Amino acid sequence: MARLQVRNAEKWFQRETGQPFKVLDGLSFEVREGCVTVLVGPSGCGKSTVLNAIVGLERLDRGELVFFNHDGQSQQRPLIGYVFQGPRLLPWKTVGDNVRLALRGAGVAREKWEDRVQRYLALVGLEEYVTQYPLYLSGGQRQRVGLARALAIESDLVLMDEPFASVDELTARQLRETTRRLCEQLHRTVLFVTHNLPEAAYMSDFVVALTARPACVEACIDNPLPCPRRWGPEIYRFAADLEAKLSLREEAEI
Amino acid sequence: MASSSHTRATVEMQQRDAVYPRESPLRRPAVGREIIGRILPPLMALVTVVALWWMVHLVFPRLLPSPLSTFRGAVRLLSEGGFFFHMIQSLRRVFVGSTVAMVFSVAVGIYMGTVVMGERFFQPLVVLGLTIPGLMWSLIAVMLFGINEIAPYFAVAVTIFPMLVINIWAGVKALDKELIDMSHVFHFSPWLKISQVIIPQLVPNIFAATRYGLGLAWKVVVVVEMFGTSNGVGYQVMKAYQIFDMEAVIAWTLTFVAAMILIEYGIINLVEQRVTAWRPKVEVWRR
Repeated sequence: MARLQVRNAEKWFQRETGQPFKVLDGLSFEVREGCVTVLVGPSGCGKSTVLNAIVGLERLDRGELVFFNHDGQSQQRPLIGYVFQGPRLLPWKTVGDNVRLALRGAGVAREKWEDRVQRYLALVGLEEYVTQYPLYLSGGQRQRVGLARALAIESDLVLMDEPFASVDELTARQLRETTRRLCEQLHRTVLFVTHNLPEAAYMSDFVVALTARPACVEACIDNPLPCPRRWGPEIYRFAADLEAKLSLREEAEI
Repeated sequence: MASSSHTRATVEMQQRDAVYPRESPLRRPAVGREIIGRILPPLMALVTVVALWWMVHLVFPRLLPSPLSTFRGAVRLLSEGGFFFHMIQSLRRVFVGSTVAMVFSVAVGIYMGTVVMGERFFQPLVVLGLTIPGLMWSLIAVMLFGINEIAPYFAVAVTIFPMLVINIWAGVKALDKELIDMSHVFHFSPWLKISQVIIPQLVPNIFAATRYGLGLAWKVVVVVEMFGTSNGVGYQVMKAYQIFDMEAVIAWTLTFVAAMILIEYGIINLVEQRVTAWRPKVEVWRR
């Protein structure tokens, strides 16, 4: 069952010279409940624009976003968790307070805050860092806090915008494993954006491949790999299959 | 007795080792060196000013009293009953006027930085306000409100308001857009956004504005008190001026400067250190 349908999305931006250019060109796909849908496409093709439109940071020029509740009824934009490319934590707030503020913003009852903070920081392995300030953590640890914050609000949908692009490969691999394990364990509906094919192969249940800008859907592919997911040669084999099927090598011009 | 002091020393060593373990190359900074590093530079600055003053006194002994005789005059002022009364009157005017200006300037600065129409509306008014001297506001305030407490409050607030707004507005323009987007995504209410995301980013601007505002407020209060009140430091300075008592004029000025330095180091610095405790120390010139 779909939790979100993107229907014929079209988005235009303006260059500094005032000349308009199209970023999304009739983009349509759906995000399935309890699955990790990976949106994969070349850099600059408009993947982040899709996520920004979903959370309301951008407005589509044409097309619509339809959100569904658990009963399959369409609904207003629900609460959405977001793991950004950078951690985007408030540096003057402790790790615990960063998560607490997200819970407060999401309207979670105050008596549940402590339990959620402890639980989700423990799930990402940072239960001992509740009172630390983010600037004293490593890049990978900060990204884990961002993950805990997005999961702690227990939203209908979690968006992840290349969340491991800013950390080194070893840390990124650990973070992918943690994120994938948590998504399976908590049955979260996730829309994950990346241009890294092995990452797409590891993280996805379902892959939506976009063309270069202006982006439209090039292919939708089910991931045949078993769960729980393990990092191994089959990941690279599936990534190679994806690459063979898609024209991702061409970088979009800016 | 010996055993007790030995035990105490052992406990102290253990506590120190818990923070700085033996194998760690880090060592606790020497307390003496830390204190000297903090006290010596401002002390040197003070000594330089007094030395320059003394030299000018040696050249023009009739025009400028010596630092020593002025210091004696200041001590005499302190021992007189009226000193604290006048000082408190002036400080109260400075604080009330500055607080009113600060509250309004934070609100207007945030409004100007976040709403285009607000910026277009207030920008010419702020620029206009910047061009009007404090002396003019002091005269206008006394003519409008007469000789009462409203006049200095009004003059201080109106004079420093444009400077404070400019500072806050500049800070809002430099806000981190990514954090604002984050607060939108996580459904922060407008109050949560202002109190937890915007104002903490404005802390350096707010402290700079506070320091600047207090300095300017004191200048305006003295002017208003000279002709618009019957008490306060400005009134006392005016009295001393009328009998050409240079020693008293400088002594009153020194006591007020001392009070402002106490406020800077005793209140503003401490609050700033507490509010910015999360920020790691940046060492630009590494040795």
